[in-house]
Amino acid sequence: MTGILYHGQPNGPSFTVLAAAFEKGVDLDLRAIDLVAGERHSTALPHAIEVDQSIEGEGPVLVVDGVAMTDSVFVACYLDEVGSGPAIRPADPYARWQMMAWCRYVIERVAPAAAALGNAAAPPPAVPAGIASADLAARWTEAVEGKVEESRLTDSRTKIVQAVEKIEAQLADGRDWLMGDFSIADLETHGWLAGMRAIVPDAFAAAPLTDAWEARLRARPAVVKALGLATIPEPEAIWAPGPEINRWG
Amino acid sequence: MTDVTLYHWEPNANSGKPMLALFEKGVAFDSHYLDLLNFDQHRPDYLAVNPLGTIPAMTHGDKVLTESTAIMEYVDEAFDGPRLMPADPVDQWRTRWWMKFLDQWLAPSFSMIGWSVFVGPSVRQKDPAELEAAIDRIPMPERRVAWRKAIHGAFSAEEMTESQRRVALGIGYLEQALGQREWLASDEYGLADINGFNLAYAMPLSQPQLCNDELTPNIMRWLRAIYARPATRACWALGRTDLARRISLLESEPA
Repeated sequence: MTGILYHGQPNGPSFTVLAAAFEKGVDLDLRAIDLVAGERHSTALPHAIEVDQSIEGEGPVLVVDGVAMTDSVFVACYLDEVGSGPAIRPADPYARWQMMAWCRYVIERVAPAAAALGNAAAPPPAVPAGIASADLAARWTEAVEGKVEESRLTDSRTKIVQAVEKIEAQLADGRDWLMGDFSIADLETHGWLAGMRAIVPDAFAAAPLTDAWEARLRARPAVVKALGLATIPEPEAIWAPGPEINRWG
Repeated sequence: MTDVTLYHWEPNANSGKPMLALFEKGVAFDSHYLDLLNFDQHRPDYLAVNPLGTIPAMTHGDKVLTESTAIMEYVDEAFDGPRLMPADPVDQWRTRWWMKFLDQWLAPSFSMIGWSVFVGPSVRQKDPAELEAAIDRIPMPERRVAWRKAIHGAFSAEEMTESQRRVALGIGYLEQALGQREWLASDEYGLADINGFNLAYAMPLSQPQLCNDELTPNIMRWLRAIYARPATRACWALGRTDLARRISLLESEPA
């Protein structure tokens, strides 16, 4: 099996997919692109509906046999199916439901908040040409012009505080990983939260279990390898527009 | 005799997803109907099952599950019966991609329109003090905001225009995908179709200018094929309101 993975700096969804590929030992042709410069929208990449309308925003694109796959958690599920490394999803159906429900929470509540805060802290320089999705283009304009409402940023900080509280509670029984065994949930959660330590430091002020979990995660060889692909000192400080904040409850 | 209980509203949107998945798998379950318009989902006996007060929820023995799309994946894996997640890993990815796109991009736009024309007007005539108290009991702040907007008809013109824009685009994407393959995510009927049907079954009625035999023949073919399935008939028979009865429009012949 081989494929082409177009990815950004190892942060957010690009981190999840890179680390998942290394965990599973999937051999991919890695092609770094500049997500902040909008290279995902260039003609060098495929533009199926699933690329252009991915609601993850500026995430990685995995192309296998002409099919372009997006949305990091689901690409990681794919890599889990095809890779030879140890499983990164639980085998038991209920444990698997727990993992998917956890990831849904991260995707729906944490990622939009992290992306809003990250882009506000490090706005992209310009709106790239060729964005097919009007709502993604609008998020780019908001990010470039620094126009996100303060109330949304305040709510986003609350979401980050709540996410760390949720992690602390999850780890309270002494487990090493969020779902018990190591899983995609650990990668996706860390991918979105890594950059929040600098932006919402209060959230991490009294979170010893989260600190220890993150240290364990960042010591994993696959994670070290993913982070080693960074071409800048702090990949977690690099942001491009991500998922939108829910329009509807 | 079953150890499965499903707490649901109408066979429609989120409630209908696990309902139809259970019927397709042939899993017997106790149906626990919650009247969304009577705020049953925010009463203490249900909050004891799902403290977030969202519908649906499912119990299997002592396990409690929420999040309709994740419940469907569980139903498929935990019970015998026909496989609803495709076997091919790329098809699995496509199934999940479409379910997320529908759940988080297209469905919220349909919801905004549906709540402004159906849910809001359906509860608006209740006593205002009683309504306020009912809203105060909703656990999630996001849901409180949505309910207030629906009841007071407070969706902005801008929000409604954006929702209608997404509905039109989304119908186009569905038509395009269903023009490429028989079912939404693979060559076999599966979870993406169950999810999509719950969102789309009434589109020919609610969006007749966008979804019809002439403009979207593939969507119409797909809706009629799902409507013809015995599981779909059995599932929609659990509906109690005109909402679920809209499905009968799929009895029409292709134009």
